[in-house]
Amino acid sequence: MGDMAGQGIALGILATGIRLATPYLLAALGELFTQRSGIYNLGLEGVMLMGAFTGFFVTLTSGSPYIGLAAAMVVGAGMGLIMGLVSITLKAEQGISGIGLFMLGWGLSGLFYRLYVGGITNINGLEPVAIPVLSSIPFLGPALFSHTIVVYLAFLLVPVCWVVLFKTKWGLKVRAVGTTPQAADTLGVSVNLIRYQCLILGSMMAGLAGAALTVGNTHMFADNITAGRGFIAVALVYFGRWSPWGILAGALLFSMADSAQLWVQVLGINFPYELAVILPYVVTIIALAMTFGRIWAPAALGKPYERGARG
Amino acid sequence: MKRMANMTKLFLVALTGISLLLGGCGTKAPTPSEAPKAQKLKVALVIPSTIDDLAWSQSMYEALKKNDKIELVVSERMGKPVDASAAIRQYATQGYDIIIAHGAQYYGILKEITPEFPKITFAYGTGAQSGPNIFAYEPQAQEGAYLMGLMAGKMSKSKIVGIVGPVEAGDAIKYNRGFQQGVLAANANVKLRIAYTGSFGDLVKAAEIAKTHMDAGADILTGSSQQVPGAIKAAAGKPGTYWLSTDMDQSSIAPDTVLAFQTYNWEKIVAKMIELRKSGTIGGQTMSLSFADGTLELKYNPKLVDKIPQDVKDAVEKAKKDIASGALKIDISK
Repeated sequence: MGDMAGQGIALGILATGIRLATPYLLAALGELFTQRSGIYNLGLEGVMLMGAFTGFFVTLTSGSPYIGLAAAMVVGAGMGLIMGLVSITLKAEQGISGIGLFMLGWGLSGLFYRLYVGGITNINGLEPVAIPVLSSIPFLGPALFSHTIVVYLAFLLVPVCWVVLFKTKWGLKVRAVGTTPQAADTLGVSVNLIRYQCLILGSMMAGLAGAALTVGNTHMFADNITAGRGFIAVALVYFGRWSPWGILAGALLFSMADSAQLWVQVLGINFPYELAVILPYVVTIIALAMTFGRIWAPAALGKPYERGARG
Repeated sequence: MKRMANMTKLFLVALTGISLLLGGCGTKAPTPSEAPKAQKLKVALVIPSTIDDLAWSQSMYEALKKNDKIELVVSERMGKPVDASAAIRQYATQGYDIIIAHGAQYYGILKEITPEFPKITFAYGTGAQSGPNIFAYEPQAQEGAYLMGLMAGKMSKSKIVGIVGPVEAGDAIKYNRGFQQGVLAANANVKLRIAYTGSFGDLVKAAEIAKTHMDAGADILTGSSQQVPGAIKAAAGKPGTYWLSTDMDQSSIAPDTVLAFQTYNWEKIVAKMIELRKSGTIGGQTMSLSFADGTLELKYNPKLVDKIPQDVKDAVEKAKKDIASGALKIDISK
């Protein structure tokens, strides 16, 4: 009986951890492309909030969560475009413009919610879809394969991003533009175009990440529903050493620790709740601290590209 | 050519800045169309979340809205005391009569600001420490919590109930301990589990804790703070689970899930503050909200009231009378 209960708890932690990891994965993978091309978008949180609201609102008005998700991606792309105009064309300081984007997203999403929705409202969001054969696997099946489609998408995108970034011509261009933009430019690659593409792609995925919280998970919206997850996603890109697999490892580490601490609290295990709450962050910091050797980062990260400029 | 581009950029930036400034100035001063008969009291409310959070902030906002003798302005999303401090100072310099900082976290900044504005009445809560021009208000959340704990203890089929807590502070401490006692009094075999999100505003986390409680067997849940709508929604996802609310009527989120709710009737507190101020007392008192004077009430969700067994309702009534009369004291000292 105790063994069964232990298994139940472990599976519960696993299932919750996978669900928790989804928004981090989506947003961080998007930011991966952005940063690999040389731009860092600190406004990810604002994009997620706009994506969360748009996904919620369009699902509410159209009745279809899929249209809601698509709309969230479009709005995310739009915000990426704005960030591109500011960081690439106007060459503004990316850290500051990123924070500005964050405030814009937070403010607009809250404003639109107040104007067009008003109070706490329910939507017909995504329901978990059990994958036919896989979800019947004893024990692991329901924990791993009974989630909403955004969860599956988030995890499937990890190998997809790896292939795109490392095995395609476009991915090579992205990496070149983020490491040695001058060399890429001389070879005919449009540095700014690639960066725009990556920013828009990255923000599109961040918009989807936000919608995963509203349409996918809670089926509601409230002001500041992301509560800082966008910033953690940015940190995960660094943690993952700008690699999709590293990001997967980071997102899972953080989310599993978070899921475990929830269960520790709920089961009444004698552990101060304050420590439980900070556990995921501590675990991540410890993992980060255990780095050996020099850390590679895209060399041109954060530097606007000017043809003919020195350095 | 480059100089032209720079000038254009500068012009656009200046234009944007000026239009934002003008937009920000907005309509602060009310248009004096007719001189009002009685001078309305100017009240400012500073809240950590939004006026439509269906919890802590909304309950105070709605109470103030009902009072037609006051002119109300609100500053929302002042979760960080630093932001709130700036807003409070601004209202103070603009000459507001009463400034309410609706949150336990605001006491520190009020202590700093209030000496500079000795003629203005400030108020905050949940808190017990008042000042020369500060009113403190303390909902005795543990009273309603005890009654709902009684309900949970008696009605739980799985004998496991859960609390979705924010941070172990202020209102939450009182509420949780009162609930704990109620459950104990109802049935000592019922397990009560408490989990905290670590924040007052993380709806998604609150929903996850609710889900975890339910996965671990709880069939009646409760919780406090402005993030509970997330948890209530999650509870609604599993039919057979009930939620017990505090702050205000939250059944609109989940009409088949919210069984009962404790309401904070701030109207009486606000009226009392206005009375006292008019008669010359601008602070220095701690006001309790409790069942004894009707500032706290317990209401059943009319849709689900038939699901509550009569013996539970009787036990609640009896306990309510005992609490109101002082015969039953709820120990919140842990």
